[in-house]
Amino acid sequence: MDRDSRDMMLETAGRFFTERCGREVVNGVERGEWPAELWNEIEAMGLPLIAVPEEEGGAGGSLADMLALLRLAGAHAVPVPLAETALANLLLAAAGGAPKLGPVTLALGDLRLSGGRVSGRADRVPFASVADRFVAIVDKSLAVIAKANAKVMPRPSPAGEPYGSVAFDNAAVEFGGPSAVGAERAFELGAAMRAMQMAGAADRVLATVVEYSKQRVQFGRSISTFQAIQHMLAELASYVAATIAAAESAARDADEGGLAEGGRFSIAAAKSQASEFAQRIAAIAHQSMGAMGFTHEHILHHYTRRLWVWRRDFGSETFWGEKIGAAYARAGPQALWESMSGSKYAA
Amino acid sequence: MSVPKLEFPPFRLPAEAEALRGEVRAFLKETLPRVKKTEDRFSSWNTPSPEFSRELGKKGWIGITWPKKYGGSERSFLDRYVVTEELLGNSAPAGSHWVADRQSGPLLLRFGSEEQRQAILPRIARGECYFSIGMSEPDSGSDLASVRTRAEPVPGGFRVNGTKVWTSGAHRNHYCITLVRTSGQHGDRHKGLSQLLVDLKTPGIVIRPIINLAGRHDWNEVTFSDTFLPESCLIGNEGDGWLQVTSELAFERSGPERFMQNFYVLRELVRVLGRQPARRASAILGRLIARLWSLRQMSVAVAGLMQGGKSPAIEAALVKDLGTIYQQDLPEIARTIAESDATTEEDMADFLDIAQYATMIAPSYTIQGGTTQVLRGIVARGLGLR
Repeated sequence: MDRDSRDMMLETAGRFFTERCGREVVNGVERGEWPAELWNEIEAMGLPLIAVPEEEGGAGGSLADMLALLRLAGAHAVPVPLAETALANLLLAAAGGAPKLGPVTLALGDLRLSGGRVSGRADRVPFASVADRFVAIVDKSLAVIAKANAKVMPRPSPAGEPYGSVAFDNAAVEFGGPSAVGAERAFELGAAMRAMQMAGAADRVLATVVEYSKQRVQFGRSISTFQAIQHMLAELASYVAATIAAAESAARDADEGGLAEGGRFSIAAAKSQASEFAQRIAAIAHQSMGAMGFTHEHILHHYTRRLWVWRRDFGSETFWGEKIGAAYARAGPQALWESMSGSKYAA
Repeated sequence: MSVPKLEFPPFRLPAEAEALRGEVRAFLKETLPRVKKTEDRFSSWNTPSPEFSRELGKKGWIGITWPKKYGGSERSFLDRYVVTEELLGNSAPAGSHWVADRQSGPLLLRFGSEEQRQAILPRIARGECYFSIGMSEPDSGSDLASVRTRAEPVPGGFRVNGTKVWTSGAHRNHYCITLVRTSGQHGDRHKGLSQLLVDLKTPGIVIRPIINLAGRHDWNEVTFSDTFLPESCLIGNEGDGWLQVTSELAFERSGPERFMQNFYVLRELVRVLGRQPARRASAILGRLIARLWSLRQMSVAVAGLMQGGKSPAIEAALVKDLGTIYQQDLPEIARTIAESDATTEEDMADFLDIAQYATMIAPSYTIQGGTTQVLRGIVARGLGLR
């Protein structure tokens, strides 16, 4: 997409999310309701096919377009597997498959492929209980498995989204083909996607808390006029800024470097950074909003709880930190600056 | 919502700047072993070396953005960014020329007289002329508008009385750009202030050391006692000192020196952990690297915005706030993993000395160039809170 088309897509999607992903919808998902109408409308807008080529019926967007959309989705706590489906469809199309309608999620885990059938188990699969199909990447192959051929053990995330474990026992596949990316890379792309969702959520937390502090009156004046609050929110802004800058850089590098290899280090660093600051962001936000923000009625927890969940999804700061640290230690002290300034694992 | 959006659009340094990076690296590889002394192992922008500054000046990399007629190279602000980060990333002793290149030269270029520019800028660019900053006073820290040093207009110039403190390098530098009151009363705040170009060899100036807590002599107390300075010392217009000084403070608040001043701690940590650290140590190391990388992305994004003609004041303040706090966290986190994961006892002892030194220096990061609290005030205003 060119710049204008992307901006237009984001504006339309933003308006739609504002109107249709309100508090009640998000809370409904948490109670176990599937917002079928919302999902149908999102599909009607073509969003889950954003990064699928036009000849495959998609919007023909790039990975960067998809990630920009997901940052926006993160800023609205969109409670359906838009991110997962968009990435799964991108990978499916890249493997020569034809994406179909319906929510999809990625199954990455201890999986084996034998005689065109999949066996094994994947844990902490986002939206496992509501997905129509699973896109599994096993070694160098991509396989699509219908939910009827999978056993889902629901385990909702602490943000109330229908996560779970998925087991396949010699499961038949709807589609199988050579994958454009290995499982490790698919996981990495998942990390890029979550980092951008976290950037969106972080941004929304800041906006929410700033607005609240201007309206909330205590001791006869709005609490935003207290220096103690001002400094807390300025500190919050610094963590939000780091999350945004890191995620956006990773999205750019992932896109420019190509689906198979792009932004490997940048994604790792950005997800580590986003995960590292999630707690600081949540802590300051809740402290600034007092008891109001601790209630279920307020929307703040839609974002802070997602930050707490997303920081673990597709690798926490410990996971990615270990990868980076091990690579940099192996390369030795003299390579440090060159690797880091080149956004690479090793110079 | 009416909350200002924080944006750090990813920015790629242009090819010319990356090509320059290669040249700078080759130069440093060749030069540093020659000019560095043992005690400079962990040097940075506050480690002076006139020898190194002259070598750098010969390459045309001091005052790199300035007009050629003043000794500059007329290269871009982004080229300067690359030179700066390479100096820091390679622990070059850039302390002699640092302030002149970063702050004083640009100030003279913008507000100085033609005579001042011609006399001073080419010498700075050659790496031969060094500057101190005469802003703080015993009673004026963050509240700079309260300066008391007074320059009375007298025939042919000014008679100056007062004391400047925390004046870095005044004992070895040539000039000090000094903020003084030239008219009005102490209570007039930012009205009536001016900046003077002060030759530190001027009779009537006494420079005394102020030793910092780490035992280093970097700071000084500079006392003016009926010191006569000629009229030609005035920088810009009489009474414009406040405007000039605030623009000076804004010069690259978000530059790499705000998060890479103690980069050597990270490098030495990699050394002391060896090639195959335990998983936990790797994870902590990797998180530190990820944070630094993120700061660099923020800083480069701000540089890109500035190159595009924008003035991202809040974003720049955020880089300094976060970057200086990172530099305080770094020696502390590094110390704790080195204690458990250093490869040998000897390496650990060596590293803990480095970390100890870095810890002692670290309080200065969140004070100099605008305290954390001043920066958070700027950010809060940007967020519409005040």
